[in-house]
Amino acid sequence: MAPPGPEGGRAAAGAMAPGKKITARIKRTLPVKGPQAPTLSELMRWYCLNTNTHGCRRIVVSRGRLRRFIWILLTLSAVGLILWQCAELLMNYYSASVSVTVQFQKLPFPAVTICNINPYKYSSMKDYLSELDKETKKALETFYGFSEGKSKVRRSVDEWNSTGSDFFKQIPLLKFEDFSKTATDLRSGQKRKIEGSVFHKDSSIVNSGDSNDIIGFQLCDANNSSECALYTFSSGVNAIQEWYKLHYMNIMAQIPLETKEKLSYSADDLLLTCFFDGLSCDKRHFTRFHHPLHGNCYTFNSGENGTILSTSTGGSEYGLQVVLYIDEADYNPFLVTSTGAKIIVHDQNEYPFIEDIGTEIETAAATSIGMHFTRSRKLSKPYSDCTETGADIPVENLYNKSYSLQICLHSCFQKAMVDSCGCAQYAQPLPAGAEYCNYKKNPNWMYCYYRLHEKFVKEQLGCQQICKDACSFKEWALTTSIAQWPSTVSEDWMLRVLSWDKGQKINKKLNKTDLANLMVFYKDLNERFISENPANTLVILLSNFGGQLGLWMSCSVVCVIEIVEVFFIDSLSIVMRRQWQKAKKWWNDRKRDRLGKPPQAGDLERQGHDNPVCIDEDLPTFNTALRLPLPQDNPLPRTPPPNYSTLRLETAFTEQLPDTLEVGQH
Amino acid sequence: MNLKKYFVRALHRLQKGPGYTYKELLVWYCDNTNTHGPKRIIKEGPKKKLIWFFLTLLFASLVFWQWGILINTYLSYNVTSSLSIGFKTMKFPAVTVCNANPFKYSEVKHLLKELDRLIEAALERILQPAPRNSSENASPPLDLRLWHQIPLVLIDEHDKDNPVILDIFESNQTAGAGPASGSGSDNCTYRNFTSAAQAVTEWYILQSTSILSKVPLQERIRMGYQAEDMILACLYGAEPCNYKNFTQIYHPDHGNCYIFNWGMDEEALNSSNPGAEFGLKLILDISQQDYIPYLSSAAGARLMLHQQKSFPFLKDQGIYAMAGTETSIGVLVDELERMGYPYSDCTINGSDVPVKNLYSQYNTSYSIQACLRSCFQNHMTEICGCGHYMFPLPEGVNYCNNEDNPGWAYCYSSLRSSITHRQICIDSCKETCNDTQYKMTISMADWPSEASEDWIFHILSYERDMSTNVTLDRNGIIKLNIYFQEYNYRTISESAATTIVWLLSSLGGQFGFWMGGSVLCLIEFGEIIIDSLWITVINVISWCKGLKQKRAQARYPDAPPTVSELVEAHTNLGGAGGRPGCPDGGCMAVARGMPRHSTLCAAAVLHHGSDPRVGTQATFDF
Repeated sequence: MAPPGPEGGRAAAGAMAPGKKITARIKRTLPVKGPQAPTLSELMRWYCLNTNTHGCRRIVVSRGRLRRFIWILLTLSAVGLILWQCAELLMNYYSASVSVTVQFQKLPFPAVTICNINPYKYSSMKDYLSELDKETKKALETFYGFSEGKSKVRRSVDEWNSTGSDFFKQIPLLKFEDFSKTATDLRSGQKRKIEGSVFHKDSSIVNSGDSNDIIGFQLCDANNSSECALYTFSSGVNAIQEWYKLHYMNIMAQIPLETKEKLSYSADDLLLTCFFDGLSCDKRHFTRFHHPLHGNCYTFNSGENGTILSTSTGGSEYGLQVVLYIDEADYNPFLVTSTGAKIIVHDQNEYPFIEDIGTEIETAAATSIGMHFTRSRKLSKPYSDCTETGADIPVENLYNKSYSLQICLHSCFQKAMVDSCGCAQYAQPLPAGAEYCNYKKNPNWMYCYYRLHEKFVKEQLGCQQICKDACSFKEWALTTSIAQWPSTVSEDWMLRVLSWDKGQKINKKLNKTDLANLMVFYKDLNERFISENPANTLVILLSNFGGQLGLWMSCSVVCVIEIVEVFFIDSLSIVMRRQWQKAKKWWNDRKRDRLGKPPQAGDLERQGHDNPVCIDEDLPTFNTALRLPLPQDNPLPRTPPPNYSTLRLETAFTEQLPDTLEVGQH
Repeated sequence: MNLKKYFVRALHRLQKGPGYTYKELLVWYCDNTNTHGPKRIIKEGPKKKLIWFFLTLLFASLVFWQWGILINTYLSYNVTSSLSIGFKTMKFPAVTVCNANPFKYSEVKHLLKELDRLIEAALERILQPAPRNSSENASPPLDLRLWHQIPLVLIDEHDKDNPVILDIFESNQTAGAGPASGSGSDNCTYRNFTSAAQAVTEWYILQSTSILSKVPLQERIRMGYQAEDMILACLYGAEPCNYKNFTQIYHPDHGNCYIFNWGMDEEALNSSNPGAEFGLKLILDISQQDYIPYLSSAAGARLMLHQQKSFPFLKDQGIYAMAGTETSIGVLVDELERMGYPYSDCTINGSDVPVKNLYSQYNTSYSIQACLRSCFQNHMTEICGCGHYMFPLPEGVNYCNNEDNPGWAYCYSSLRSSITHRQICIDSCKETCNDTQYKMTISMADWPSEASEDWIFHILSYERDMSTNVTLDRNGIIKLNIYFQEYNYRTISESAATTIVWLLSSLGGQFGFWMGGSVLCLIEFGEIIIDSLWITVINVISWCKGLKQKRAQARYPDAPPTVSELVEAHTNLGGAGGRPGCPDGGCMAVARGMPRHSTLCAAAVLHHGSDPRVGTQATFDF
């Protein structure tokens, strides 16, 4: 049973008895209960006629079954299309578009870190490395029959049998007779059986039948000597260098930092002349930076004193020009085999990973490096998986520089190293409370390190998964070209003047192979800025939704609210009401069957509460109660509630009725 | 006639009053508008009415807010970039080759003789500070005129506050920063260098610039390297070419430069195949023996790839090629196509840049480097009164030299280090909208190999000098390969992220999404506003009339009040909804429809038939 519409109630309130007025007002102020349509089909009909969406009305208005069916089909497909398109829109919401802007402006000059390829002066390292060198030379002699020419003899050959360290015994170079398990020990010269898994540094060796000249070394777990790893190399050059580096790191790990800095090159040693932006500069513009593998490096424009130099003109004469002194005679013959310097161009906040991405500079040549500056910016979550500051990454940043993927990977490895081997690897900074590995304290570290490194490379440590890209990064694209320097005709005076510049510290004339000229400059002052922008904003998403809804059905949020109202709230309440009435009827029937007449009155009265017509009428007397089924037939209450009918005339007439009734009553 | 009718009608309307009230108008609008919300306001019960009223308001404000955002987005003129990469037939870049040394020493020796002797003596002094009289006796006396204009000095900074300045050719020591130079001007600056090599080079460049600037251009071109001497062999793809295919251009830094495929006279060459086979192969001779020893210490060829019809700025973009090597250069064309104003601040041909392009005398296109240099030269001619030798001259100005402009070096160096002047130039120059860069992958190998050395030198010498003697050597010969890489272009092109179509569809989308509205709804709304204005106008007029009548009444208090009664009756109906005398429903019915509808009128009259007073009023009103 539908309660009368509010307007009906209002109209009735006009000229009613005070008691009725009160009930009417109560009815008016009480919340409207449920929809006015008595049945679901009527509700649907009403909805279709009155809704703002377009398809539905056609279904009701159309005549003929086929046409109606077609309209139903069309409406449903429109709904389907809307749902599909909106889903697509939602799925594409988190996409990014890339924009590239080029701006011409004054550019900050990047930091330029310069290192000598040779980390420490060989002459000053003698005390530390003599043992190792002796061992290496002996290996060369034993395996290759190489003995140094008389001119190059640095140490007397007789000392060979002096007491070597235990450690050299532990990790000797081995020569493998064949692919079977026998090898010749370098020191004792005796053959022995080799057990353990074989790691090949050079995988091609596995396939080669000629295994006579395989050379390598064996690393064993000190606690459990049966577990060994064997490293073999196809070439003795690689094998000796790797082996040398292993021991070298051992030795260097024991030397304190201050000593190492003294052993390496000073700024005066490295830099002969310096020229920036048309003005002279000197070692005060450089900051020392100790790199574990490259010794003392010098960073130009490191921004340490707070000021960062900038360039407002491109071209080679406005950039950095340095002449470097590379003392080739003082190179370590086994550690480094190439001559020159290494440079890296980086941001002031970035750590220079010179061993990974450095550019090498030739001696006796002018290297001109033209730069192009590109700045990139990615969108962080949820667009892509990158990190702004690295604070959300569970790896402690061991370098006191801003986050980068490289830093994260190195820190992660170092942490794993400290956790599993108990000491830190020499090439990376120390975590708090750890110290560098050396074979006196950690005899086992090398085996551990190699095992761990193997795991790291195979991505078993999980570092590659933990570490994320940085969201913004700066990049300097370099174009390197080389010219001969000094030219044959200017060589003479140039070397003389440069020797004079060098002053009294060296009392020999410079050789041109000891010098390298480096020019670093901006090719142009265009800053290329590549940034990702969200392709969609919420506003655009909503207007796309609106476009889709409007295109297919002329629908809006209002329609959505309508649909929710009609299909969920109203339909549900109709269904509920019906069920309730059915249940009540059933209950009443049962009661009546059981008890007969008396309960009928109470029943009627209760029905009267629900029945709006009854409420409008005088309170039910016994007689009226008896005649109760009658009002059901009366067309008055049966008329659908007027307030949402379409036709105005109808409305007018129905609204009229209470009035006329009242007039009649009066 | 029609007009008159219209005016008469309007007059009647004014006399009669508007005919309907604001409320009626609003209700009518709500009922008949195509936007979705308002209809519900009047169709629902009181509770829902309230809810719908607020919902409609909320949606309307949402729509306006989002429209604001959309319009803002549109006006920010964002661009989206699209990147394309691949290989296509493209114009081969123009290739400029120069010698790192500008002039043959043998040709300019007579001009630089004095200077060279001076610098040799100075070096002697620097390297052996103890004065030696014997050497000076042997050689003819030095011309110290050049020296006095810009002397080289030693600055002893052991005592920081009181540096000792020592002129190399004078034994007397001058302390402090007093004017130790004889340049004649009152203000002097010391440019100090930490390295003697640097100082000597800079000093030499300044002096030689001054000397060479007096030499006429034709003479300078003759003193430089000639094409037939420099370009020994040339091969483009499978086609042979020779030095005649190169355009000569005089470059102040590098003397004679030669440009291949500049596209000034004939069409630019296309290359449709990647790889060294289809590129340009050159063999150059730089004859290192003939270098000016103090001017350029680096030896090699300087080359640059650039666009057709653009000026090669070798100092900025050029690369070196080393003697005795084969340098292979793989080229990738990196293009950036930008949209002009208002999307990005760039210029299409430089015509809107407030700097006079001095490089247009070479018939070359605008570029930012050209603009910056022109800007500097313009400043230089304004301030110093002469033009710098390295840049082209504006009309009616001469190059600076020590005789005519004794203070030019000081003026130049202060201008060069002036940050403000640089900033002015940076601000006034704009980059070009279509920016093309050539990304090069450079690799080198020794050339010629030891085995082939002999015959190669022999043939090349024979071809150049028609002699059977070998006149070339490793130090002078350079091989160049320039070719397109497998992917030869990378184009980043901009397109507008927001167009007017985008804006309209987004606006429509928003309006549609929240309220189901369209442009027609806006027009409807505008109509209602006009209507309500009209009502206001009519009301004001009738109110004025009423006021007049009141005054008239005041003057003649006995006058029959018929008119005022009528007016009252009219207002009575307008506000009928709230009156106790009027039954609610009936009035609503009237209020709801536009009163002009005749059917409605009938209905209304019918309804109120029971109450004769109202009835008469209603009939009267319409």
